[in-house]
Amino acid sequence: MNRRGVERTSPLVLAGSAVALALVVLPLVGLLTRVRWSTLAEDLTSRAALDALRLSLMCSLLAAAISVVAGTPLAWLLARGRGRGRSLLRGLVLLPMVLPPVVGGVALLSAFSLRSPIGGWLHDTFGLQLTFSTAGAVLAEAFVALPFFVVTLEGALRSLDPGLEEDAASLGAGRAMAARRVVLPLVAPAAASGAVLAWARALGEFGATVTFAGNVEGRTRTLPLAVALLLESDRDAAVALSLVLVAVSLVVIVALRGRWAVRR
Amino acid sequence: MTDRRRAVTAGVVGALTVFIVGAAGCTDADPVERPTTGTAPTELTVSAAASLTESFEALAERFEADHPGTDVVLTFDSSTALADQILEGAPVDVFASADTANPTRLAEAGLTDGEAVAIARNRLAMVVPAGNPAGVDDLADLATLEGTVALCAEEVPCGKLAATVLDAAGVTVAADRVTRGQNARATLAAVADGDAVAGLVYVTDAAVADDLLDVVPIESVPDATTELQVVALRDAPAGALAAELVELIVGPVGQAELRRAGFLSPR
Repeated sequence: MNRRGVERTSPLVLAGSAVALALVVLPLVGLLTRVRWSTLAEDLTSRAALDALRLSLMCSLLAAAISVVAGTPLAWLLARGRGRGRSLLRGLVLLPMVLPPVVGGVALLSAFSLRSPIGGWLHDTFGLQLTFSTAGAVLAEAFVALPFFVVTLEGALRSLDPGLEEDAASLGAGRAMAARRVVLPLVAPAAASGAVLAWARALGEFGATVTFAGNVEGRTRTLPLAVALLLESDRDAAVALSLVLVAVSLVVIVALRGRWAVRR
Repeated sequence: MTDRRRAVTAGVVGALTVFIVGAAGCTDADPVERPTTGTAPTELTVSAAASLTESFEALAERFEADHPGTDVVLTFDSSTALADQILEGAPVDVFASADTANPTRLAEAGLTDGEAVAIARNRLAMVVPAGNPAGVDDLADLATLEGTVALCAEEVPCGKLAATVLDAAGVTVAADRVTRGQNARATLAAVADGDAVAGLVYVTDAAVADDLLDVVPIESVPDATTELQVVALRDAPAGALAAELVELIVGPVGQAELRRAGFLSPR
């Protein structure tokens, strides 16, 4: 915006924006003032912190990978499929985005705890227990992260000119080839953004994880769970780990800069 | 560009309108809830250990009945989390802790009004999912059985007591087999609703979920108890009412309620 544009902005807009900005910035400034810089390195390299960092990285990457692998066909179906069931399907897929995470955790528990039919069957047949396991933490994170990938990719697929696929077909490409050689390369940037968003959401997951997978050191105690636990024992360490999550979030925003802009 | 900016202005005005109307709505709602006596309700804010949930809910009702126009607002969590909140400036009138360490922290910070008073003692029970699927019959089994054991977070009173009990019994549970509940009730839920094979919770908590749990008595360390204390806070927003609630809890009515919930009498 040029200088004149700034001058002409109404005071009401400026006041409203200031309130909104303060809402976001003040807590972050507060966090920064609570950081004990002298022990920051120690706090971040303690065994508990490193365990949580390692586990968080692993679980969130796996959850993002699941979102990409399972979410790509789903996004395709939502963007290209026909029929009335589609909006219902989209609603279902979006649900975890607006559902309180703790409710997601209760739902996961109802479906996969040892006392549930599926959870009981998994345990009796394969000896697999999802509750209190890393697999359970990944599942909880994938549950909340999946919609972020699907929505982003579906939007990109919809904005493509359907004529492109027809052109490819008229040149002799089959449907699969048209998808692979023409469509996927075009939506790759959006898919990457979606994957990063899904990963970031998975990294920050707390409610569903703690409810479904518990808080087990080295197995399900990811960064957000470690922060919550450390708040009561070692606030400096909790603040230090929070700082890591803020830094990661900032990097994600910077990395995705411009990708969210509406294409005209 | 002008159109776009007009749209932005409209959006901001819209958001502000919602905000202001919403805020006004809140203020408007207040008189409706006011009792017909014409006086504004006095809020009495109580932070209490999660294990006190049912007892304090009953006592709050009793207090409200005895003091018309008083609204007792209860917050339950681990005593450690609650004490942290008070140290951070939470406007609380009365603090009821599952241990003596947390009231001491507040006293050292100069936040308490007088000495904390012992109101009860509590001890731990080992709980297992109903039917005891893992076949736990002794504390020592926790070290060897397969599956996850639910304990309270190390810094909260029930976690400290669990550490004392396990130490005394010479039992070590590997850290990667322990799920930590943020407070006594979260730990209870890990066994009652979750899939932990066993957990150490207060006997009073075990009684709350007795349809979902079986209790395995801990016989090896009978003397491990924690003392619960209550204290009014110096800057209590509700003033003298705080002391009155403490009196109710310490007095015969409060004590009867706590005994009924399974708490032991204070020493």
